[in-house]
Amino acid sequence: MPFSEVDFLQALAAGILVGSAYALMCIGLGIIFGSMNVINFAQGDFLMLGMYAAFYLTAGYGVLAFLGPYAGPIAAAFLAGPVVFALGWVLHRFIVSRVTGAGAAQTVGAGAYGQIIVTLGISLILQNGGLILFGSTPVGVRTPLSRQSWEIGDILLNQARVVSFLVAVTLAAGMYLFLSHTRLGKGLRAAADNPQAAIYMGIEVDRAHRLAWSIGVGITAIAGGLVATFQTFQPYVGFDFVIVMYAGVVLGGLGSNFGAFWGGLLIGIVQQMSTLVLPYQLQNTAIFVVFLLIIFLRPQGIFGRLSERA
Amino acid sequence: MQNSPTRRSVTAGLALGAVSLPALRVGTASAQAKLVKIAMIAPLSGPWARQGQLLRQGADMAVEEFNSQGGIKSLGGAKLEIIYADAGDNTEKAKNAAQRLLSDHPDLVGGSGAWLSSFTLAVTEVTERAQLPWLTLSYSDAITNRGFKFVFQTSPTAEWQAAETLPTALKLAEHATGKRPKTIGVIQDNTASPVSFGKHLREGGGLEKVGLKATVDQIFTPPLSDATPLVDKLRSAKPDFLLLLTSAMPDCKLVLEKLDEFKLGKGKMPLVGNGAPFGSPELLNTIGPELLEGMLFSVANWPLKGQEEFIERFKKRTGEPFATQDALCGYGDVAILKEALEAAGAADKLKVAEAIRQMNLTTGPAAQFFPGPIKFDEKGRRQDVPMIFAQWQKGVPLTVFPEDRALAKPFWPSV
Amino acid sequence: MRTRAEANRQRWAILGVAAAVLVLSFVLLKSAYYQLVLTQVLLWAVLSLAWNILCGYSGYFSFGHAGFWGLGAYTVALGMMYFDLSPWISIPFCALVGAAAGAIIGYPTFRLRGHYFALAMLAYPLATLYVFQWLGYQELTLPMKREAPLLYMQFEDPRGYVVLALGLLVVALLISLKVENSRFGMSLMAIKQNEPAAEAAGINTWRWKMLALMLSGALAAVAGGLYAVILLVVTPETVFGMLVSAQALILALFGGVGSLWGPVIGAVVLVPLAEGLNAELGDVLPGIQGVVYGVAIIAIILLAPEGVYWRVLDRFSKRAPAAEPPSQMPARATNIAPLPRAPVSTGADLLVLRDIGISFGGLRALDGIDLTLPEGGLYGIIGPNGAGKTTLFNVINGFLASDSGAITFAGEAITGLRPNQVCRRGVGRTFQVVRAFPRMSVLENVIVGAFIRAPTDAVARDMALAALDRVGLVDQAEKIAGGLTTRELRLMELARALVPHPRLMLLDETLAGLGHDDLGGILGVIRQLRAEGITVLIIEHTMHAMVQLVDHFTVLDHGRLIATGRPQDVVRDSRVIEAYLGKKWSDRVAVPAK
Repeated sequence: MPFSEVDFLQALAAGILVGSAYALMCIGLGIIFGSMNVINFAQGDFLMLGMYAAFYLTAGYGVLAFLGPYAGPIAAAFLAGPVVFALGWVLHRFIVSRVTGAGAAQTVGAGAYGQIIVTLGISLILQNGGLILFGSTPVGVRTPLSRQSWEIGDILLNQARVVSFLVAVTLAAGMYLFLSHTRLGKGLRAAADNPQAAIYMGIEVDRAHRLAWSIGVGITAIAGGLVATFQTFQPYVGFDFVIVMYAGVVLGGLGSNFGAFWGGLLIGIVQQMSTLVLPYQLQNTAIFVVFLLIIFLRPQGIFGRLSERA
Repeated sequence: MQNSPTRRSVTAGLALGAVSLPALRVGTASAQAKLVKIAMIAPLSGPWARQGQLLRQGADMAVEEFNSQGGIKSLGGAKLEIIYADAGDNTEKAKNAAQRLLSDHPDLVGGSGAWLSSFTLAVTEVTERAQLPWLTLSYSDAITNRGFKFVFQTSPTAEWQAAETLPTALKLAEHATGKRPKTIGVIQDNTASPVSFGKHLREGGGLEKVGLKATVDQIFTPPLSDATPLVDKLRSAKPDFLLLLTSAMPDCKLVLEKLDEFKLGKGKMPLVGNGAPFGSPELLNTIGPELLEGMLFSVANWPLKGQEEFIERFKKRTGEPFATQDALCGYGDVAILKEALEAAGAADKLKVAEAIRQMNLTTGPAAQFFPGPIKFDEKGRRQDVPMIFAQWQKGVPLTVFPEDRALAKPFWPSV
Repeated sequence: MRTRAEANRQRWAILGVAAAVLVLSFVLLKSAYYQLVLTQVLLWAVLSLAWNILCGYSGYFSFGHAGFWGLGAYTVALGMMYFDLSPWISIPFCALVGAAAGAIIGYPTFRLRGHYFALAMLAYPLATLYVFQWLGYQELTLPMKREAPLLYMQFEDPRGYVVLALGLLVVALLISLKVENSRFGMSLMAIKQNEPAAEAAGINTWRWKMLALMLSGALAAVAGGLYAVILLVVTPETVFGMLVSAQALILALFGGVGSLWGPVIGAVVLVPLAEGLNAELGDVLPGIQGVVYGVAIIAIILLAPEGVYWRVLDRFSKRAPAAEPPSQMPARATNIAPLPRAPVSTGADLLVLRDIGISFGGLRALDGIDLTLPEGGLYGIIGPNGAGKTTLFNVINGFLASDSGAITFAGEAITGLRPNQVCRRGVGRTFQVVRAFPRMSVLENVIVGAFIRAPTDAVARDMALAALDRVGLVDQAEKIAGGLTTRELRLMELARALVPHPRLMLLDETLAGLGHDDLGGILGVIRQLRAEGITVLIIEHTMHAMVQLVDHFTVLDHGRLIATGRPQDVVRDSRVIEAYLGKKWSDRVAVPAK
């Protein structure tokens, strides 16, 4: 199917913008996956919580309503982070820590089985609890940005998505600096690479994990708050994003937050640009094909390190 | 409202003493009204919970009103009791719900549901074998293509709607602007009803019959991540109007906002849609009235002239800003069952089914709630039904076609 | 491995339970609804058992079993709709479809491990889901056959389906039992416990994994086919969706992963629970049933992290009396096969490495390694951390492919051979981290080493016992490995590598972490091996023991061989002292004891 240069650039632009939201989500997931080696099935539902947090902060008599329809949603997205961070903290303290990290190291498979069930259980609770609390009517954060765009030549860039892109990039850079240059951040990485050694060095692995978990879900929640400005959602929306997040994290490289960002971005680009050559319906199949190709050709992902040793 | 045998047996076992009293009373009292049971299966939890909620609102209202008006007269004033079951979020749950209903309540005389066509398919496999008459608003052709005798589809099939939607829309356009559109853009998702609709357009020659050429023809898998590539094609191909077949509100929103963003909104690209999500209050809440102004959509059922009083009652009772297809059908299905019971004169599911087959109602509560006569053919499909069109005007989706039941006059959006 | 008697008992248990269920369902369950739920319990149990065959035993977690289930469902649905094919024919055909899918998927995917494998498996059903939607198969309904319903598996009485599902469950249980009791299962479990060790012990891990996936896929597809017949409506989300894969996982993990009855327990408890919650609470407070279910599975898994079955088993085994001395313990002298006496130190070169080199990324991990080991004798490899010692072993073994040079073993080139093939030729290997099956006996832990040589399980048993005897653990043969000390674990690891009578033993830090007393015991065993004619190449850090133990020393540093010779010479070599030993050692060289 022939396509024009404009079509190509427009699809690329769309891919980058869509991908930036995925990228931010992936960073959140990547931090958890990288630090704790846990597959968190509930990540999509923390995304959903972020969306609702942003919604309630701006809608109607929401606290941030006074900021207006432009700044309000962005502030709300940021605030969604700490809200979900706190929830994540509590969840880890009482439930998740029992099946991950130091708490589970003694059991067969290092608690791997428990992790899956616990995160699946949390996912069920969040989705259905969400239905009870928020109701089933799809809602969205209203902002005029979602239907306006900036023009570069013939290419239209949706404003809400551009804002989301900028926020995502900034946050990603911030996370990168945090993890590589602060003591806390480095402690997280140490706990990930070698929990035993980290313990000997006085790094409280459990605490490090709790931080990683909470930051991870918090970042994804912020991504949710941003997505909420241009998409409507209901309590079961998390499902749609979990797979994309995992594909992005694995693509970019497990254990590399830098990679998670690029992985998410790449997923977005593949998803949007595949429509140039493939039937629209196979967008997501294209993601999986790319995902599988990368896994086979370069299992450690683009930026990851091979860590499975004999 | 729902008692499983376990709960019932436990309660009975524990409260023998208390039970015996009313049992005695039932024996002595002569005018204790009987109950006639009907069922509704709808998604009450899961991603489609909102639709289930609307169906339930309509049905509850109907049961309450009919009972307060005296119940089923031919059964001595017997009252309707409606039993709900949650179809959940997948076909297995829907089927289980159907089987459970039948096992717990063997005295059901009819039912309605389950909104999503795959749920309806699964549910009716059970109800057909139990010979329970079943009504549904689902559009999918497959529902009444199986040679079943106890399934009655109150909505016209997607294929039929496809055949009717375009000619009517074109007529409207011609009427309003004097010109007949020559090119069309089609954007649809790949769920069952749009696929049937689309199949008719492409393979069934629907487009050719009305002299239209599709310059954009895209099918996507929901949920839509970004409408840019879709709308971009519209921007370059510039069809005379856009046919939008999306079954989920979030996808509608993305496309409509993207149209506006690409300067194709607010009437520049006339929009014709199909299906109830195009008229949902949530769409209004998330996009706002300006982007929706002028959007036409065809739908199986929408508030008609003569229903104004009902609409007011409904709005007051539920707090919804306006009534939609799902609520109307929920109410209407109960009305049809009531009429069938009246005609059958017995709380017997086979007689009720026969009564529905023989039905030809143009007046009365059931006929009020569906456009056209209530009459089903041997497949269980309705006949002589007009295609309903509604149009968003100043933030309210009003019926504009057929003219004799319209609540407003249509206009064709123009630049 | 179970004995014959135990296996028979299990088989009778399976049939007995099936019969009981059959009777109960016909007598007690009068309502079609309960019969439907029972059928679903049975089918989900089969899917979970199928999942367990691959994932429970081998440890390769799959998040994508919905792929097989869906393929089975669509095979039956499309078969009936377009080819008028009766499910009686298409359902068995699903086994072929599932096995083929397993082969196609396994070929590329088994190159991955752990999380990567699981996530790759996740991708397959989801990608397929979109493809089926694109193909136009959004909603398929199995046509109702009023004329010849039985021919098309359309029963009026739902108990017909109960019988079919029960039959399938019995088949699945019998298959699982057979797998558990055979070397197939033991090999899978060895893979789960320590895949490199299993491979080095001669197990063709790739072949067993592929077989497991194909068997798992076949069973899952058949169950999916029957599911389609029962549901009568097939949509891509229903059969390829994440919920299906998750269900297979949850049931097995909840009930007891890697056990025969675990998936069944999971299905029997969780499926009715979920359905009951839907029924009771579905219309009361929509969503509450999901919350309750989520809370329930979290609570149970916190209480029983490996699943109900293991938890209960552990409880009961604690209460059981201390293990009696095994009645089948062979007398030491009579049942053990006589040791093959290898020629003592013929002097011929057993292992020759010429110019071996390997790079990782930009790092040259080994460079220009030349090594010659004559047969018979104890050799050591030593070097600072990161010198490349384990890498060298991995290259000899076949885990890594060198990018230069050649390796010959007993005159035959072994460069590029897979580890199990290298083992076959007579190389045994131990690993730094010993991972045992905690719930199995020492004998069961060791017996996998026998599979490449023993034609029957009985011979394998004898060989394993003989190896245990050589290391002095034969009295502990029936002891549960979970209670072993570090010393005993190391000896067990040694025993497993010894079972197939290797000519060369590669010992990777066998002495690490042992206290002074334990050390003596193991050193004795190693010396005994040498006396029996086995060539030993040992990596160690414990300088003191090494110097006393080995005849000949090689020092590696930064991937290069920097010194080789007798201990007393090597420790004096200035390069070695510089690289590793430090000044004090050159003053403290002990006279090598023989």
